[in-house]
Amino acid sequence: MAVRSFQARLLSLLIAVLVLLDAGTLVSVYLAGQRTLRRTVAEELRVGARVLNRILDTRAHQLAESTAVTALDFPFRDAVASADMATVTSVLQNHGRRVKTDAVLLINLNGIVTTDTLNGRLTGKPFPFPALLHDAEDRGEGAAGTVSFLGRPYQFVIVPVRGPQPIAWVGAGFEIDDAVLQDVERLTSLDVSLPRPNAAQLMMNDPDYASLPQHLQTRDGSRVEVLLRRSLAEARKPFVTLQLQIVALSSLILLAAVFAAVIFARSVSRPLQVLAEGAGRIGRGDYVEPIVIEQQDEIGQLAVAFNQMQSAIAAREDQIKHQSTHDALTGLPNRTLFFDRVTQSIAVSKRTGGSVGMIMMDVDRFKEINDTLGHHFGDQLLIEIGRRLEHTSRASDTVARLGGDEFAIKFTVPSVERAMELAERVGTAFDAPFVLGDVAIDVDASLGIALYPAHADDADTLMKRADIAMYEAKKSLSGVAMYEAGRDEHSLRRLSLMMELKQAILRDELELHFQPKIDVRSEHVVHVEALVRWKHAVHGIMRPDEFIPLAEQSGNIGLITKWVLRKAIAQCAAWNGMGLHLTVAVNLSALDLFDSELPTFISGLLSEARLPPTRLVLEITESAVMEDTAYALKILSDLKSRGIGLAIDDFGTGYSSLGHLKRLPVDELKIDKSFVLNLTESSTDDLMIVRSTIELGHNMGLVVIAEGVETQESWGILKRLGCDMAQGYFMSPPLPAAKLQEWFVTSKWGSAA
Amino acid sequence: MRSLFPILVFSLVLPAAAATIDVRVTDARGVPIRDAVVYAVPEGRTPPAARKTAIMDQKNRMFIPHVLPIQTGTSVRFPNSDDIRHHVYSFSPAKPFQLPLYKGTPANPIVFDRAGVVTLGCNIHDQMSAYIVIVDTPFFEKTGPAGSATLKDVDAGRYSVHLWYPDMRDEPVPETVNVAAGERIAVSFGSGHGRP
Repeated sequence: MAVRSFQARLLSLLIAVLVLLDAGTLVSVYLAGQRTLRRTVAEELRVGARVLNRILDTRAHQLAESTAVTALDFPFRDAVASADMATVTSVLQNHGRRVKTDAVLLINLNGIVTTDTLNGRLTGKPFPFPALLHDAEDRGEGAAGTVSFLGRPYQFVIVPVRGPQPIAWVGAGFEIDDAVLQDVERLTSLDVSLPRPNAAQLMMNDPDYASLPQHLQTRDGSRVEVLLRRSLAEARKPFVTLQLQIVALSSLILLAAVFAAVIFARSVSRPLQVLAEGAGRIGRGDYVEPIVIEQQDEIGQLAVAFNQMQSAIAAREDQIKHQSTHDALTGLPNRTLFFDRVTQSIAVSKRTGGSVGMIMMDVDRFKEINDTLGHHFGDQLLIEIGRRLEHTSRASDTVARLGGDEFAIKFTVPSVERAMELAERVGTAFDAPFVLGDVAIDVDASLGIALYPAHADDADTLMKRADIAMYEAKKSLSGVAMYEAGRDEHSLRRLSLMMELKQAILRDELELHFQPKIDVRSEHVVHVEALVRWKHAVHGIMRPDEFIPLAEQSGNIGLITKWVLRKAIAQCAAWNGMGLHLTVAVNLSALDLFDSELPTFISGLLSEARLPPTRLVLEITESAVMEDTAYALKILSDLKSRGIGLAIDDFGTGYSSLGHLKRLPVDELKIDKSFVLNLTESSTDDLMIVRSTIELGHNMGLVVIAEGVETQESWGILKRLGCDMAQGYFMSPPLPAAKLQEWFVTSKWGSAA
Repeated sequence: MRSLFPILVFSLVLPAAAATIDVRVTDARGVPIRDAVVYAVPEGRTPPAARKTAIMDQKNRMFIPHVLPIQTGTSVRFPNSDDIRHHVYSFSPAKPFQLPLYKGTPANPIVFDRAGVVTLGCNIHDQMSAYIVIVDTPFFEKTGPAGSATLKDVDAGRYSVHLWYPDMRDEPVPETVNVAAGERIAVSFGSGHGRP
């Protein structure tokens, strides 16, 4: 449609221009023709007049010559000289016949006609044109002139008869007759006539003719007018022919131009169509088939530009596609691509059998590494981890970075055992320390494995379950964990709790409970351990071991620790004010030991509460102390130097060496409740451990505390073994502050102060 | 049109046996006219006819001389000095004749026995013309380049002095003079004649 209109526009424009041009040419040719016609006709008439005069002159000359020949004839002269009139007359008649005129005269030197060929009509009379005679006398030879003779225009010639001086004159008259005029007409294509005076005006007014009246010069004063006329129709003929030729030629040119324009328009619109189709192909995403245009002109260049654009778009689209499916930092496939690959592999496995395995992996304590050593370092570490993962995996596996410190590996294996082996091999990627710049760092990762079809039927579920397995691995500190059926519910709860926890802290949904520690010798309460509870709207009151790991994972543990410290110290100060001189124990997370600000914060709280630092004991688990000994030791020493008491919690579960334990600046040792809960006289293992621990602690100068005391029997054993303090449901469960205050009053253990 | 102012100049001449007449011919503007024939015709008598011979030669397609004055009765020979032929003729009433196509000198001279002017022509060569002026007196002469001529040895007596030259329009009235023996008089024609 557009192509046709382009052609039509080009055509109509061209035709309009040509028609205008033709019309202009015709008009100008017509006008020029008219002008030329007028000029030509005028010129023809002037030429005609000259031709007429020349013909008359020539005729006069010829007549004079022939008459002179006669006059020179010796016998004729002899006859004239001897006045032999009869002879003379006969010679004149003879001459008249010869030159076809009837008016030949002999004139004597006195101007009198002495004989004539007009039957003596003029004989004896003066020659009627004395002026002519004078011309001849003056010149001594012939003369000629136009005159009116016998009522008709005549050319009269006078020649002398010599003896050798003129002795007489011969005159001869020749009528200007139709033959003469026809001579002019033949030479000039004019209409030549000798009209009567009244007819002349009428003829001159004829609009079909251009007229030029020509007055002949006469020697007798008479008026002789020759009318020259040119037929305008005749004169116009060649111009009309020319105009017709121009019209014909213009039409031919117009036709040729239209033909050429159609061809040209096609030559433009065809390639344009090809270009449009090519652009359409590019628009549809076809970057393979190029536009082929043979022309070397602007359209050809445009086609080249289109093809360049096509390949550039293709390259850019590839790049965008790569960016959209790959991680910018490590260059590994991203979550989207990974998910696609897993989906594909599952689809393949559905047909061929076999398992698709997935390892979810995240870097332990990556946040702290990032915070401590900077994001740039973190990025470099992630790149290096990616590199090592790719190195340890097989070519058919897909290593992806899902975001943050999360990586994933997809693989195909024939069995669960092989999957576990593979995961362990991947775990070796973290065996060697990472050396980046001048920093060498040990990094651990938690790996969760899930398998299709053993654990999930689709990619989505598979990823979720691998994720759950990874959390298991992290929680259990085992490094690698395989998904176990039924963990989903738990896992989901954990995830939502993690999100809710921070809100809970801000909304003050946490509550502090206190459990008394009883001095075994005095059997009275001396310490209370602050234990945090989460009054969850849905799940009810939650214990720390349910949400503290979440807080640790989500980075909120610092908030909780500080909240607990603030509340516990405030409560302790309040009781102190009431005369209850208790020492409060607060649990620290292993992560808290990385917070160098913590000692200063605690000192601030104590001085604010006007509580001596000795009234606060911080409990740290054995494993927490073992993780990063040097840094933890520094914090612990700082706390110790401030006079704050330190206790090792859950002692007996970790693998701390005694040498290591010796270096710790702690005051108390809390035997893990797993050894105390079933402590009876018959449980020899537990008994032995408790007794050894108490002895060990005492040997190292530490206060030994047993928790999980729930029976009279265990209480009795501990008392017998010389344990310093006991804590457990046998004395009191953890209670809110208000309830504990009642307990102080009502319980037999309560009269501490 | 020229006005006529005849001027006559008389001068004394030394006494001699014969008289002398000096004639001077000019046109009205005083320009001398040469080859004009002046002649004095005695009044009351006719001198005897001459028995003389004159020559009218034809050389280089010209008559020589152009003007030949002779006394009546003089024979004139017409030798042809050219190596081409000539056909000499005269239609003049004083002596019409013709000598058809000849070379050399014709045997018989032509005798001009009547006074008058004979105009000579050649029938072959139209441009050739000459004049033979036949006068009834032995006293004639042609003017020289200064327009002067002298009639010598004129007998004392009464004469009419005439003038003629070619192309003269009007023949002037002759001057009548009386000359005594040994007298010398002068006659002048300054007007009364004209050239075309």
